[in-house]
Amino acid sequence: MAWLASPPPTANTDASIAPDASAVPDASGALATPAPRTARHSGMHPASGRPMIEVRNLRKEYVMGAEHVIALDRISLDIARGQICCIYGESGSGKSTLLNQLAGMERPTRGGVRIGGIVVSRLDERELAEFRQKHIGFVFQSYNLLPGLNAVENVAMPLMFRGVPREEREARARAMLRRVGLGKRLNHYPSQMSGGQQQRVGIARAFVTRPQVVFADEPTGNLDSKTKVDIMDMIRDFARENGQTIVLVTHDEHMAAYADRIVTLLDGRIVHDTEQDE
Amino acid sequence: MRFSDLVHLCRQNLFRRKSRTILTVLGVVVGCCSIVTMVSLGSGIDEQNKQMLASMGDLTIITVTGANNTGGMGMADGSGTATARIDDKAVKDFRSLQYVAGATGHVTYLDAILTAGPANRYVDQNGVIEAIDMTQFDAMDYQLDSGRKPNRQGDVLAGQYTAYDFIDSLRPESDNFRMRPSYLADSCTPEQRAEGCEDKSDAQDPFFNILTTKITVGAAQTDDSGNVASSSTPTASNGQTAEGSGSGTQIQVSGLLKEDNGKGQATSSGLLMDIATLKDLVAKIHPDAAAGTLAYDSALVRVQDIDHVADVESQIRTMGFTTSSSRDMLDSLKEQTRSIQLILGGIGAVALLVAAIGIANTMVMSVTERVREIGIMKALGCTVHDIRAMFLVEAGAIGVIGGVIGCLVSALISLAINLIRYGGVSAEHLQWAILGNGTVDEAARISVIPWWLYVFAIAFATLISLISGFGPANKAVRVPALDAIKSNQ
Ligand SMILES: Nc1ncnc2c1ncn2[C@@H]1O[C@H](COP(=O)(O)OP(=O)(O)O)[C@@H](O)[C@H]1O
Ligand SMILES: [Mg+2]
Repeated sequence: MAWLASPPPTANTDASIAPDASAVPDASGALATPAPRTARHSGMHPASGRPMIEVRNLRKEYVMGAEHVIALDRISLDIARGQICCIYGESGSGKSTLLNQLAGMERPTRGGVRIGGIVVSRLDERELAEFRQKHIGFVFQSYNLLPGLNAVENVAMPLMFRGVPREEREARARAMLRRVGLGKRLNHYPSQMSGGQQQRVGIARAFVTRPQVVFADEPTGNLDSKTKVDIMDMIRDFARENGQTIVLVTHDEHMAAYADRIVTLLDGRIVHDTEQDE
Repeated sequence: MRFSDLVHLCRQNLFRRKSRTILTVLGVVVGCCSIVTMVSLGSGIDEQNKQMLASMGDLTIITVTGANNTGGMGMADGSGTATARIDDKAVKDFRSLQYVAGATGHVTYLDAILTAGPANRYVDQNGVIEAIDMTQFDAMDYQLDSGRKPNRQGDVLAGQYTAYDFIDSLRPESDNFRMRPSYLADSCTPEQRAEGCEDKSDAQDPFFNILTTKITVGAAQTDDSGNVASSSTPTASNGQTAEGSGSGTQIQVSGLLKEDNGKGQATSSGLLMDIATLKDLVAKIHPDAAAGTLAYDSALVRVQDIDHVADVESQIRTMGFTTSSSRDMLDSLKEQTRSIQLILGGIGAVALLVAAIGIANTMVMSVTERVREIGIMKALGCTVHDIRAMFLVEAGAIGVIGGVIGCLVSALISLAINLIRYGGVSAEHLQWAILGNGTVDEAARISVIPWWLYVFAIAFATLISLISGFGPANKAVRVPALDAIKSNQ
């Protein structure tokens, strides 16, 4: 548990888990882990035995007046690189809370999260933004497209934050949109698209930066069953293609079936953890 | 994030809420217009002052009028009056002071009658002759209206309007003079005309060209009743001339001075010559006059630039002289103008302040509306720095656009004000209103917008907008990314 107490790595948001870091075998400097053993394996090479996501003894409490809500308790979890991991559980079991801790949206009350060797729970705001920019993709239940931007601009947005020139990022966005079957809707605005189409834009946006990890919180929650299958196929295919790690939150067992592994939560604790074959 | 992307996003956001953007920009336009218009009125006062001062003559001239018996170093050593006499030595002392461009003693001779023309029919009963040290002509910055500069011993110059001072003694009294154009009214209504009003269209040249006509200087004699009469004056009734009386002497004017009230009356009406020339002249026309009457009545000192007038003037006072200059008046005029300008500027600033509140309001609303968008952007990796920049660019754009439009509108307002003051649209009026005309008195503009005012107004509007956008931008920065995700439920 030494890494939880170690000071935050200074250059930690850069090379260690960047998509192309595999081409640079010696990115170990990015890891501030004192243990030489882990440092040696920190190149984030696909063959590396190190998990993509490491969660240790995570606890999240919410204080509401006099009441303490323990949303998560004693969560320890390793998610391997390239794994599609489903966080499964009924409503209120703490799935979204766990996802938010993993993605650095909230600070845990206790315990730590490390993604690609970076201690997420210790990053400051600026480092977090940079970290998300480079390594994280999001798919939201309610799509969360910007209403003022068309499909291409929405998909190109994360690239814009990274400073990619307009021509280049829109070309990449168009290519992504064609792959999700929206080649004819490139200039449509969110209000002109169905839920399924919007979620496909959302998926294109999440994957356009080729992030190491994509978090999806109930991505099919608002869709009909036929569209759900399309969307899940798409997420799985993208992930397989680039060996990306997916953390999928759902309360729908049909969706959970797409995962390599199902972690079941109940009242903020892991009650089941099963790996499954496709 | 690139700046070009920030600008692009800003444009999209401003267009998305068109009417609100337009109203906010309008607020800035009004604020900017009021500042520019108010300050332009202030600069208009400056221009009017400048033209008024120009009519007062050279402002760098100090007139030393005599001994100062109440103070000065002369008093300190007990020999005050001795040192404080205006004589050649004093003039030399003045000339050696720092910042002094030139100095000359000054003599006024009033006992002359000037006549000219065939049979000396044109007469100036009250001819003023002033004499200075002509070697100081350039150093004192005398300006010529026409003719040539004095370059020979004995050259005589006439004032710009001297020729208008002559009456034609052979004409009836009601029509024996010519008016200077500047004394005529701008325009007369037919009713006024019936009562004898004459306007610029009635302007006539003087009776003779003073540069080509010899002038006879004669001595005036004070008769018993105190009236001045001349030995060379013709009597209008019989048309006879007194040319034979022997005391008149003829001179030829070589150049016409430009009127400059700072440098003596002779620049406008009278004759100006060297002191030696005047002495010769007086010796001829008035042999009995004591040489003492030609002592300096004053000295003129010209300072290199207006900023040092006060300095030089106080030094001369310390030497024991009394002085006068336009500095006091200039100071109080400046002070008055400044306070008017401050008041006007203040009124304008209040309007811009109101506009600033409008911008702040718009930006606050914009942030509130876009909380979700901001959350999404943050979740997708937009840095806090970029979010702040996004809102500041928007606020700044409102300021720049409002400022530019405001400047254009102000230019039109200013044009309209000036045209109204000139009394209508005409090619000449348009030229005055746009380019200004420093030499024509009636062309002084009420509203003057110097180029820097446009630059300042746009910069100021932008700055105010940025300042009012700063609070909301920081509010946007604090929107948690989690809100975007939370809204899933
Ligand atoms: N911001 C919060 N403040 C207080 N309680 C919260 C907050 N977020 C979540 N909770 C509580 O934590 C528990 C887990 O919520 P959540 O993670 O949203 O569940 P799920 O996503 O599995 O439906 C719930 O009891 C919820 O009330
Ligand atoms: Mg949830």
